Amino acid sequence: MEFLRLPATSLGLRPFCLTLADGPSRTSTNLKSITFSLPLSFHSSFSSRKFSTPSQFSPLIQFATPESQSSARVSTETAEWAIQDFYTLRKDVETTIERVKEIRASAGIRQLEEDLTVLEKKAADSSLWGDQAKAQETLISLTDVKDKIKLLTDFKTKVEDAETIVKLTEEMESIDAAFLEEAVNTIRYLNTALDQFELTQLLSGPYDKEGAVIYITAGAGGTDAQDWADMLLRMYVRWGEKQRYKTRVVEKAMGEEAGIKSATIELEGRYAYGYLSGEKGTHRIVRQSPFNAKGLRQTSFSGVEVMPLLREESVDVEIPEEDLEISFSRSGGSGGQNVNKVETAVRIVHIPTGMAVRCTEERTQLANKIKALSRLKAKLLVVAEEQRASEIKEIRGDAVKAEWGQQIRNYVFHPYKLVKDVRTGYETSNITSVMDGELEPFIKSYLKYKYSITAAAGSVR
Amino acid sequence: MNSSLPRTILSTISPYSLAFKRQKLPISTRVSGPVSFPSISSIPSSQKPRIPLFLRPPIFTTSLSDLQKWQQWANNLALSVGSKFVDSDNGPDTNILCREVKWLLEDAVEDKSILCQLVSPENGKLVKLRADLDELYCLWKQRIEERRPFQYIVGCEHWRDLVLSVQEGVLIPRPETELIVDLVSGLVLEEEGLREGIWADLGTGSGAIAIGLARILGDGGRVIATDLSPIAVSIAAFNVKRYDLQDKVEIRQGSWFEPLEDVKGELAGVVSNPPYIPSSQIVGLQAEVGRYEPRLALDGGENGMDDLLHLCEAAALMLKPGGFFAFETNGEKQSKFLLDFMTQKLATNVHNLEAISDFCGIKRFVTGFRR
Repeated sequence: MEFLRLPATSLGLRPFCLTLADGPSRTSTNLKSITFSLPLSFHSSFSSRKFSTPSQFSPLIQFATPESQSSARVSTETAEWAIQDFYTLRKDVETTIERVKEIRASAGIRQLEEDLTVLEKKAADSSLWGDQAKAQETLISLTDVKDKIKLLTDFKTKVEDAETIVKLTEEMESIDAAFLEEAVNTIRYLNTALDQFELTQLLSGPYDKEGAVIYITAGAGGTDAQDWADMLLRMYVRWGEKQRYKTRVVEKAMGEEAGIKSATIELEGRYAYGYLSGEKGTHRIVRQSPFNAKGLRQTSFSGVEVMPLLREESVDVEIPEEDLEISFSRSGGSGGQNVNKVETAVRIVHIPTGMAVRCTEERTQLANKIKALSRLKAKLLVVAEEQRASEIKEIRGDAVKAEWGQQIRNYVFHPYKLVKDVRTGYETSNITSVMDGELEPFIKSYLKYKYSITAAAGSVR
Repeated sequence: MNSSLPRTILSTISPYSLAFKRQKLPISTRVSGPVSFPSISSIPSSQKPRIPLFLRPPIFTTSLSDLQKWQQWANNLALSVGSKFVDSDNGPDTNILCREVKWLLEDAVEDKSILCQLVSPENGKLVKLRADLDELYCLWKQRIEERRPFQYIVGCEHWRDLVLSVQEGVLIPRPETELIVDLVSGLVLEEEGLREGIWADLGTGSGAIAIGLARILGDGGRVIATDLSPIAVSIAAFNVKRYDLQDKVEIRQGSWFEPLEDVKGELAGVVSNPPYIPSSQIVGLQAEVGRYEPRLALDGGENGMDDLLHLCEAAALMLKPGGFFAFETNGEKQSKFLLDFMTQKLATNVHNLEAISDFCGIKRFVTGFRR
């Protein structure tokens, strides 16, 4: 388990060990209350990227650039402050002020304050304890809201402290090292706390902390598409391994000439589903296909489905037998004693929604049927949650089809190199590293995008 | 093997079954030529079951990267097959074979969780195996080049929730046959007389149906499993013991009902997956089946129904009133023929006759009750 952290270099700082009476210790208390362990290690690009709208995702300031590192590496003694260090600090403070502003806005600080007034009124009401359960609920939400407001207020106070130090230094036109170190420290802790706060906000879905199942299918495009599906398989396996998730390709159907027709990956580990949920959809490739004799530019598609990896006993859904169409694969012909093929594949269709799952990796039909059913249930639960349906039978099948097949990302290999997410607008020309599993920027920008949409929807309410 | 049959059994075998059994005995002793292991070529004489791969002690060690090389080699061999086997005799394709590579690995390693590290193995990391890496090369070569059945390679078959030991000389249980246990489980839930009674699984082979039944019957229920083949008897006994069902499943050697004279008219149920493939079709079977599996368990005589007809007739006498029977058949044609036969000839003894489809919609089973 790795705690999320901001590399020290991202603030242009060498490690130092100045103890401060008040600042950091207070921050660390706050950190405790929002401790949130994650297997992802976060890079500075995350914290420096803007938060509210997709168009603003291009990094304003790249903390971890070699320049900023060298600018800070002036001396090993804390007392010596070069003017560049001060400029770096000033820049960091400015960025953090913006960040705090954004986070407070997107967390709905005003709404929270209104909620607090309402809840406090309720809690003070003498009739509250008439209904024990409701009273309990009110008190819990009151504590929640209070904690959140305290945290957000703390962010503001902290960043203002740092700002004051910077302003004072400017006015005095002299450098007090100890003073500045305090500001640096504050900013550093603040950025870690803001990262954590953001992630608790971003990964708060009911299944986000579960493992994940990825199901990849080659789309139209023949061998080229099957090769593309294989490339995606490799990409996600690499990503999973980088995150130190237990990553297993549990099933793989080979293409006739090259690539795969489909594959299933299971990733065990905390928050795998939360990170990957935004990967579902159609992924499109444009390239000079190696499978095209004329070497013409070709476009192919592959579908990616993501479901939480839920333990059998934790899936509490009953699906009526008559809603399920279960088919078993067995090669044609006479069957029985005439044939010996270990074909145990089971396919289950949920008739009302048209959603289908297939399971082939287990060694008996019975085992595949059990596994397929639990995957189908996971899928139904996720869709129900997406559609805010309280019951499986409220799910609209047409909407599922439209959503799960939506094109989400383009991978252009030719005539230029570009990977671009059509939802968030995030793009990179480093297509090789993306194919090597470098997906964090895409995943994080999507999570933020999703969060900003939800927050916007929430503030309308 | 012929001479080893007890005299009493030989004398009571009905004329037609005796005829075909004599005819195929020389074939069943045939050793599958290409197989090079001494342990395999000695099977017909030895009745000691071989230990399936997944139960062998993990006494071999290899590096993870060597195992990865094996995996790549095995997958490439599987890829080279393409649809060749499908086209020649409806055999397995690349996808099925690749899946088998994965399962072979699962059975061969001590710790399955190590397999997810095969994608990018750490240098020098060691892994414990239940078979020597050379043997794994040899086994997979047999699988691809000689079409030796996967289940004989690993020495087991996963069937329902069971893992059954199998080897040359014993029919590999098929997924269709799982349904027989389901049919019975529905009945025994409702009828105490069936749940607590004596059941017979005739021609039990690996013991699959018998073990499946024993696990769904009540405390008083038990199963007698019979088989003519001494290898089948010893493998079935091994499997019964592995599931700790010795008190519930009794295995008797002999042909069909002959070892069951003592329970005549007392049986609560009779089930069987007898040989039902017409003799003329044995030659054209999928290589894994025709070349390796015991003809004794496949060949049902000229029209495939020699044994089925015998079973239908005898079941009518062996069952107690209200007793149930279910037999697997070659499909629609045989099922219909048997239902007609019983309706015309045995209607005074049996009723509620039915042909039941397997999961592919083929009428696979005939079932009914003793009046």
